[in-house]
Amino acid sequence: MNEIRLPDATEAPGRRGPRLWLSRLEGPQTMGRGLGFWIAAALVLLAAILYPAFNNDYTVGNAAYFLVWTFMAMGLGLVWGYCGALSFGQTAFFGLAGYAYGVITINIGSAFGATWLALVLAVALGGAFALLIGYFMFYGRIKGVFIGIVTLSVTLVLETFMAQTAGPQWRIGEARLNGFNGMSGMPPLTVPWFGGEILLYAGTTLYYVLLGMVVLVYLGLRMLLNAPFGNVLVAIRENPERTEMLGYGIRLYQMLAFGLGGALAGLSGVLYTAWGQYITPSSMGLTAAALPIVWVAVGGRRDITATLLGTLIVIAGFQSLTIYGSQYALVVMGALLVFTVLVTPNGLVFTVMSQIGRIFGKGRE
Amino acid sequence: MRIHHNRTLIAALLAGTCLASGPVLAQDGPIKIGVLEDQSGDFAAATNVKVNAIRLATQEINDAGGIAGRPIELVIYDTQSDNRRYQEFMRRVLQQDQVDVVFAGFSSASREAYRPIVNQFNGLAFYNNQYEGGVCDANMIVTGAVPEQQFSTLIPWMMETYGPNVYTLAADYNFGQISAEWVRQIVAEQGGTMVGEEFIPLGVSQFSQTIQNIQQSDADFVVTLLVGAAQASYYEQANSASVGLPMASSVNVGQGYEHKRFTPPSLANMYVTTNYIEEIDTPESNDFVERFRAMFPNEPYINQEAANSYIGINLYKQLVERAGSTDHDAIRAVIAEGDVCFDGPSGNVCLDPKSQHMSHTIYLARVESDHSITFPEVWENITPYWLGDAGCDLTQNDPSAQYTPSNPPPAQ
Amino acid sequence: MEFLLAIFSISYQFGDAFAFLVISCAGLAVIFGMMGIINLAHGEFIMCGAYVTAASARAGLPLPMAIACGALAAAIIGMALERTVIRHLYHRPLDSIIATWGISLIATQGVLILLGPTMQGIGTPLGSTLIGDRSYSIYRLVLFATSIGLLLGLYLLFYRTRFGVISRATIQRPDTARALGVDTRRVYALTFGLGAGLAGLAGGLYAPTMTMVPTMGSTFIVESFVTVVVGGADIFLGAAPAAAILAVIKAALTAWYGQLFGQIGLLVAVIIVIRVMPGGLSAFIKRWQK
Repeated sequence: MNEIRLPDATEAPGRRGPRLWLSRLEGPQTMGRGLGFWIAAALVLLAAILYPAFNNDYTVGNAAYFLVWTFMAMGLGLVWGYCGALSFGQTAFFGLAGYAYGVITINIGSAFGATWLALVLAVALGGAFALLIGYFMFYGRIKGVFIGIVTLSVTLVLETFMAQTAGPQWRIGEARLNGFNGMSGMPPLTVPWFGGEILLYAGTTLYYVLLGMVVLVYLGLRMLLNAPFGNVLVAIRENPERTEMLGYGIRLYQMLAFGLGGALAGLSGVLYTAWGQYITPSSMGLTAAALPIVWVAVGGRRDITATLLGTLIVIAGFQSLTIYGSQYALVVMGALLVFTVLVTPNGLVFTVMSQIGRIFGKGRE
Repeated sequence: MRIHHNRTLIAALLAGTCLASGPVLAQDGPIKIGVLEDQSGDFAAATNVKVNAIRLATQEINDAGGIAGRPIELVIYDTQSDNRRYQEFMRRVLQQDQVDVVFAGFSSASREAYRPIVNQFNGLAFYNNQYEGGVCDANMIVTGAVPEQQFSTLIPWMMETYGPNVYTLAADYNFGQISAEWVRQIVAEQGGTMVGEEFIPLGVSQFSQTIQNIQQSDADFVVTLLVGAAQASYYEQANSASVGLPMASSVNVGQGYEHKRFTPPSLANMYVTTNYIEEIDTPESNDFVERFRAMFPNEPYINQEAANSYIGINLYKQLVERAGSTDHDAIRAVIAEGDVCFDGPSGNVCLDPKSQHMSHTIYLARVESDHSITFPEVWENITPYWLGDAGCDLTQNDPSAQYTPSNPPPAQ
Repeated sequence: MEFLLAIFSISYQFGDAFAFLVISCAGLAVIFGMMGIINLAHGEFIMCGAYVTAASARAGLPLPMAIACGALAAAIIGMALERTVIRHLYHRPLDSIIATWGISLIATQGVLILLGPTMQGIGTPLGSTLIGDRSYSIYRLVLFATSIGLLLGLYLLFYRTRFGVISRATIQRPDTARALGVDTRRVYALTFGLGAGLAGLAGGLYAPTMTMVPTMGSTFIVESFVTVVVGGADIFLGAAPAAAILAVIKAALTAWYGQLFGQIGLLVAVIIVIRVMPGGLSAFIKRWQK
């Protein structure tokens, strides 16, 4: 296949290895650059770190739950916003990895940090499945809205199939799939520690672990997107034919991006399963599949920061609407979605960020 | 990144120590009851009435001086027929609102979604739905009817009345599959024949092929275990194709009041075993319906789940008053005495200490061709025997698992 | 005789599945197939048609009139929505997912709040007929006939009337159409209204056979999208054969392996069709014609 090694616009003499990658934390494909942005980002991170000090256990655990979903959203942002392929079926990888985590941990237990091994294996499985679907689609020259339909069909097939696995014959080792009622009984993530394991139930510990993972994934994606790989993705989104003419194997790039997006969805799936010790076929259903698209679209899909912040805002907003809005919650949610699409086509957070950027003169050129 | 990493570990260390503490129970002030029910979404039709039944019971108890002198305070959330909302709000009521007990769940999937969280916080939850049975969990009290109560009465009666050939039509998920297993087993015990068994994925609304399969078989009656609004379209379609066979069900009428919603005679000749519906003509039931309608004049139908929720609140009152506190161990010690009973709208019911399920008076309701209801048979004091017989004994140990006839509790 | 009866029974199953796919996808074929708007509120237009049909039938209108009322109501609501929301999304098809999903949330929950969780059904008319030793619902046969009539009517509308020509021209080359003096905004509104009306018609036609709840539209939506996607952009070249092929797949799998495989088979068929012929059946047929 075509070679991926490419001339690098950001490559300056003397920047090699880690320094080169660090320099890619900012660049043309991500919003926010310069000291001002990073100070703001550091302040946000500091606020996030101090958050548990000022809030009760429930609120912190709930915030941890919100963080669980951000990986799937960032993955979709990568696939849809940067690569231009709207996937309607990220939940397929979410669910697959979630079930895989359940099956593995129920069979091997949680001793000696085995839950983390299960996490890695399950995420890899989600990513591999996404690569397979990606290969099938992109090398099959499927594009545009049909990618959405294929991925949606995949997730609905998985849901329909899993929903009828209630019988005792549907088991993998010790783990019963348990049909529509969902699989439970898997352990939460555990950290081996002196004198016993720390169980990562929803609480402050889990919050910090997840916050660390979000920061790592976010910074990692920024570097990747500003690297040649990200530039090519954006080029494909803007004009696939031109990019192909320039000699890039666009299908390989699309497939890899799709695989990465699937792995991130799988990460969310594993974390969700471990968080609630439960995974169900309905997390691969139509409503569940539409949600990530809503988060990403409302936040702003063209920028990874907007996607991340937008997702957190939308999830938290919808939850408090449900708590305080009684039966009108769903109506208000619907109205908000219509409003967002009509008034801020690029996404709510994206629009706000560009305004701020314009004021400070440091937005994306 | 390294600095951050260290901070994470320190924080993890600090936080790890304070995780084990459960909810602290206030001994005075109101008794808080969390209510998680689907007031919107797919299941809203059958569950809004549960919330109102809880409100009715609460008002009656509060008017009469509360539970041991303490008023009840309800904390109600709408779970939108969405399993994730159950997980979010179960944590919220247990951790943030610090409720003493939770009344939660319509679908079995929602119950399985919140059960790990109830166990994690060692909470206490009432599940007030009829369901496929088998939950052996000390943190759960189940007031709904289970298959052994509904089928051990219904199937023999139907076979005696209509004949030994049975066709089962069931929703293709846990409830349908496990219920179908019960039907199969009871039919075999009674010397009947299963002439057909078909499972329908949730959300399917077109039944032409199924109807033909039924017509082709020489069934004497059809057991319909269909669930959800889409699958309920079967009755209309079967009627218009003149299937004309008697139907037996454990789930219709008593839950989704299909006989009120569909045009007669699409449900004619259907037999349902239920532990309560508003047509039951006893003084207790009529009185209950009157009080309910006085408080909620627009309630479309008072179903079995409404009665069970109402009974549940009253049982909880009795448990707390006898235990002298809302402490779960004290409450379970009272249940273990084995004489926790309540005379309610559906007759006398008692809690079984082994499984923490409830005995019921089971009414056989027959839908006439004008969709009025008659009751050809009533069985009193039908116990939820299966879990206890199979080896679940919550007074001894707590496996917190769900069992089925083909996946029974491990032998002790 | 036995053989003829078996043939009839198989064709009845096929016709029933075919009618369901055609009727439920017609509205979507216009809105998604022609206009490119991904309309997740398709099911709610169907629900709207069903509710209005049931209400007017119970108010005393004869059923065909009531169904027409349902279709009309959905069409009017559709045009109003086109004016206020959809109009701004023609250049952003992917954003139409969000907007129409929002509309669908508002519609289902709004109906739940205003009209309660269920509505009384109206009962299937016409009864049944005995053929051989089995009885068949006559109304299902009427539905099959209606689906054929519907395809024919749409064909005539789009290929034999002035509106049809103008609307196809507007959607394919809006600028040229405008330059030729066509009021493209009106054409878009009418076309969208037509799609919504067809969805309403589907709701009206199936109202007598189904449970009436605010979420009833969701049972149509997967099948509709599947049919339209397999069909491709041209609804006549595509949707009719697509519905036929899918009906065969669904009826056969359901008959032999049960409803589960009928359901899964449909979805797998879509994936394969998209992979083998990305433009759907209509593009495939067009290429083959050349």
